[in-house]
Amino acid sequence: MASATEQSETDQVREIGHEEYDPIGTAILIGIYFLILVLLWLFMYFVEFLGNGPTVVGALLTVVGLA
Amino acid sequence: MNIHTYEKAWLVAAMVLIVGFIATITYGAVGPGIAMIDDDAGSIDPNEISDHERFGETGVEHLGGNEYEVNVVAQAWSYSPSEIEVPAGSEVTFYVTSRDVTHSFTVVGTNVNTMVVPGQISEMTVQFDEPGEYGILCNEYCGEGHHTMEGLLTVVPEDEFDLTELSTDAPREVEAGNETTINATVSNGMQDGLETTATLEIGEQQYERDVTIDGEGSAELTFDVDTDALGEGEHDWTLTVDDHEESGTLSVVSGTDGGDTNE
Amino acid sequence: MEVTRMSSTASRTYLDQFPAEAKVIKAAFWSSFMALAIGGLLGLVQALHRTDVLRFIDPADYYTVLTAHGVLLAITFTIFFLVGIFTWAVTTSLDRGVVDIRFTWAWYIMMVVGTILVGVSILGGVVDAIPTYADVLFTFYAPLQAHPAFYVGLVLFVVGSWLAGADWFRTWWAWRKENPDERIPLPTFMALTTTLFWYLCTLGVALSILVFLLPWSLGIVDSVNPLLTRTLFWYFGHAVVYFWLMPAYMMWYIMLPKLSGGKLFSDPLARVVFVLFLLLSTPVGIHHQYLDPGIAEGYKFIAMTNTMFLLLPSLLTAFTVVASMEHGARQRGGTGYLGWLKALPWRDPVFTGMALAGLMFAAAGFSGMINAGMNINYLVHNSWWVVGHFHLTVGTAVALTFMAAAYWFIPQVTGKALWSRQLALGQVLLWFVGMTFMSNAMHRSGLFGMPRRTAEPQYQGFNFEPAVGTVGEINAQVALGAVLLTVALAMFLLNMVLTSFNDDSDSLPANTYAGTLSGPEDSPAVLDNLKLWTAIAVVLVIVGYTLPLASIVDSGGLFGPDISGFQLAIETDPALVLESVREVMP
Repeated sequence: MASATEQSETDQVREIGHEEYDPIGTAILIGIYFLILVLLWLFMYFVEFLGNGPTVVGALLTVVGLA
Repeated sequence: MNIHTYEKAWLVAAMVLIVGFIATITYGAVGPGIAMIDDDAGSIDPNEISDHERFGETGVEHLGGNEYEVNVVAQAWSYSPSEIEVPAGSEVTFYVTSRDVTHSFTVVGTNVNTMVVPGQISEMTVQFDEPGEYGILCNEYCGEGHHTMEGLLTVVPEDEFDLTELSTDAPREVEAGNETTINATVSNGMQDGLETTATLEIGEQQYERDVTIDGEGSAELTFDVDTDALGEGEHDWTLTVDDHEESGTLSVVSGTDGGDTNE
Repeated sequence: MEVTRMSSTASRTYLDQFPAEAKVIKAAFWSSFMALAIGGLLGLVQALHRTDVLRFIDPADYYTVLTAHGVLLAITFTIFFLVGIFTWAVTTSLDRGVVDIRFTWAWYIMMVVGTILVGVSILGGVVDAIPTYADVLFTFYAPLQAHPAFYVGLVLFVVGSWLAGADWFRTWWAWRKENPDERIPLPTFMALTTTLFWYLCTLGVALSILVFLLPWSLGIVDSVNPLLTRTLFWYFGHAVVYFWLMPAYMMWYIMLPKLSGGKLFSDPLARVVFVLFLLLSTPVGIHHQYLDPGIAEGYKFIAMTNTMFLLLPSLLTAFTVVASMEHGARQRGGTGYLGWLKALPWRDPVFTGMALAGLMFAAAGFSGMINAGMNINYLVHNSWWVVGHFHLTVGTAVALTFMAAAYWFIPQVTGKALWSRQLALGQVLLWFVGMTFMSNAMHRSGLFGMPRRTAEPQYQGFNFEPAVGTVGEINAQVALGAVLLTVALAMFLLNMVLTSFNDDSDSLPANTYAGTLSGPEDSPAVLDNLKLWTAIAVVLVIVGYTLPLASIVDSGGLFGPDISGFQLAIETDPALVLESVREVMP
């Protein structure tokens, strides 16, 4: 470990080591972020994109259409 | 490696997210059948565009059934053609190439959007179900006039669409008593045969002719006009085939005023 | 309340430790700020022009302004700041100076010369006395053709950055001889992995310029293959965004935890993240070409898969950085599920600027996910959505982090205390607010088809039809946002200038960065095997690019079918335009 890493903090009120630390707040925030990502993705893909009128289609649809 | 349980869970969630995104895109490709612009249409020498079988003559072409092709050349700073009309309920394949720099062919408010790179041909097939009017714009910087580059795509109701073209050849002036004719050429750009009626109205007179044209064919029509019945004076005429109209004016003059000019 | 250690006896600034290196870093930072000042001001001109709020330049000059804005901010501002930060990171974390400071000055000067060449050739677009033309934008797609000086300047700048990378490697090699059994300190590890993918990706643009564009602009070859040079550009063009993002990531990993009063949650994961960036930054460039003809759909799909997996290091970073901040907040007495957020040092502009930049990056992550999607690209490609996206990434995640970091770094390299913390705090908040207005409006307008890179997007034959709101309201938000950003920029520059003239040199924080909760001893040694990761990165690039490039060359030829250069100006060459119009007249 290089000497330049911070060793102590002036306004630190307690020392929390790796074993005793559970980042529960981070887990909550990141869970909320996950939900936002999923919902926005679904909205963007299925509403904004697929609902955006004519779209470039391939031969696949033609086959289905004729069948 | 010492990874916290929460972080392991997040790693799993992140992977689920990534796989989910890829799955959604894959669904779009196989479900609604969205295809990407690819290399199917091949390359082209931009200097030879005018002689190219596809781009020598740009515009809408009927392939048969509800299938159409539209050939477009993009250049600084316009599209040729700048206005495109296709019927509703059609399946249209656009072929676009560039004469100079990179452009785009972007139909505003839709998912029809392609880069147009010189040397390459962009091909995209689109189904137009409903009538509507869309702007076309270039969204790739192509020089100082880039923002003026635009076009218009109109999807018309199916029964209002045809690829019929009408042109006429008629004298401007005729001597009273002489026989004269108004000639018309009707061409049918559709692959299907066309059966319709051509109507010429001149003065109080009306002539009708039944027209039958094969797919990709054309017909010459000749209307003999009775100048005696018209009498001397200016006579406006209108030739109508379906929704297409051509009109002009025929002057019937007395024998001393002039000859039968046809210009 | 200062977060960093302040006891004046123990406190040593970077200037005290490495006075020679501090001078180069200071010079690099000021080069970066000058690019930011000019580029930012030009951004305001554009925002007001295209929204039709205030037009005082010719529409043709808009594209000269846009070229300068893009090059100065995306290349000059970011990379000058990067070389400053990385030089700091390597020397600080290895606790030794560079091997030869003359070499350090040499690459810096080379980058300056390159910048001046590029800048002057762009300026030729609006100043008649300068006979150059370079209205080709930041992407310089052929067959738009710039003056050779533009390409030469870019090459000098990039080669300068290569030499900077060599400088960091030399310093590390020298350190390794003295410390053969030690792990690479994290900041150095970050700088080196970033440098490695920079070498890998800039090969593409160097090839594009040196083999094709420069000889073509000099008239040595007659033709180029536009799709080939475009593909080579994007081979570099996506990795470059990670290049300028990595110093911001470095700040989030090694400064934010310290400023929060805690430690980096996990050193091993930080290393994993940077290794992933080394592996995946380059073989993804084709996702900028989803709508290009001449590239098969399969290659586009492969590029998408790589791009989506590139989300992983960023998502991991989000967790690690927030967890480190939470650690700091709890050590400072923060409690509760989310109550700890109140214990963070929100009055510290360095912390707040970086934290807000990180928050904006979370939003940018979402629009980036949309951009990464293959077929959904039909919706957003080349629309203003994309511009909204990269104003959140490079324009905020990077720029705001850099500005916040400057509040800490400039005192470190000058030995002068920051002139005003209040002004700095107001500045980072104002930037955040301004960008919220501007970027949100840009994203929205992209969804109804508003194009990017367009001087006057008011068309004759049709109108845009937003599903929600109006075009006028969106334009007003963009203009307002741009004004707020410009004010914030002025506040930043003012603070920097006054800091440089500040007599107060007391109570400067020591030159330190964050310690780790789970240190390098927890991370497998293989993570430090740079040769291995570089080899895998090269293999991935070969897999991702060989076939698409081969097929582009096969169909269009290495030099294309006689495609000459275009400098499409309205007033200078009307004959060309007229001719091209005439050719298509029936």
